[in-house]
Amino acid sequence: MNDAAAVRRVHIIQGEFKVLNDPNAVLSTILGSCVAACLRDPVAGIGGMNHFLLPGSGGSMTSGGDATRYGVHLMELLINGLLKQGARRDRLEAKIFGGAKTIASFSNVGEQNAAFAMQFLKDEGIPVVGSSTGGEHGRKLEFWPVSGRARQYPLTGAETQRTVAMEERPVRTPPKSVESSIEFF
Amino acid sequence: MSIAEKIKVLIVDDQVTSRLLLSDALTQLGFKQITSAGDGEQGMKIMAEQPHHLVISDFNMPKMDGIGFLQAVRANPNTKKAAFIILTAQGDRALVQKAAQLGANNVLAKPFTIEKMKAAIEAVFGALK
Repeated sequence: MNDAAAVRRVHIIQGEFKVLNDPNAVLSTILGSCVAACLRDPVAGIGGMNHFLLPGSGGSMTSGGDATRYGVHLMELLINGLLKQGARRDRLEAKIFGGAKTIASFSNVGEQNAAFAMQFLKDEGIPVVGSSTGGEHGRKLEFWPVSGRARQYPLTGAETQRTVAMEERPVRTPPKSVESSIEFF
Repeated sequence: MSIAEKIKVLIVDDQVTSRLLLSDALTQLGFKQITSAGDGEQGMKIMAEQPHHLVISDFNMPKMDGIGFLQAVRANPNTKKAAFIILTAQGDRALVQKAAQLGANNVLAKPFTIEKMKAAIEAVFGALK
């Protein structure tokens, strides 16, 4: 792995997002039933990734549930981050990964998370130029934000167990922003 | 007719999905007259043609953002009395304070629950039922 010397690795965990325009940077994450959306403006050379797990059914946009709103919020943060750095909404393209049905998760929460991401992108008119979702194994994902190249490694056996164990940690409630409660003035 | 049914609401957000969720939440709260726009410019056009009682607008939008839109609404004699609730995806105190100075009636942080949205509207209009 000598070629990794000049590479800047940025790891993302559940609930986070990162936007970069460094051609030597690679975004990475570990996915079980979680989903990562990788968005990029190929003209501006800016890309980003988020990583989310919506509890329960986040698949339906019209359910208006808190899980859906949380998912939409995480997608919006990523999109806003890209636009702030000079990306244009009409040039954005997406790749979607994750949503596995790992051994420990009997429900199809992974599938619902992937469906949520796909539906969101369709509604927003952002083309999905690549995806790998579902399956029974977790994934290690790498995404080069400038070139848009993505690489994934299946996680089997012990690795999957570890990933699942990480995801099974207490579900993060929606992050509290500075003015988390309503302000009256 | 409930108060909610009488209030004309304009939703302004650049994300289609956010508009759908907002409109869904408002419908659940009993609102019947809901219009939506994709940015401040479009929102101002709608307001100029037909002033709405309540505007719920995002901060981050292309063309005219939430702050620009708020200023435009307050500068127009026909629309300046509209209640204006601004939505924020990222907690930014400076922006919230600016919105308050420019005459926003309330701020609602995303992701919001229906209860929070109800409280934000009721703080401006009083109890909806």
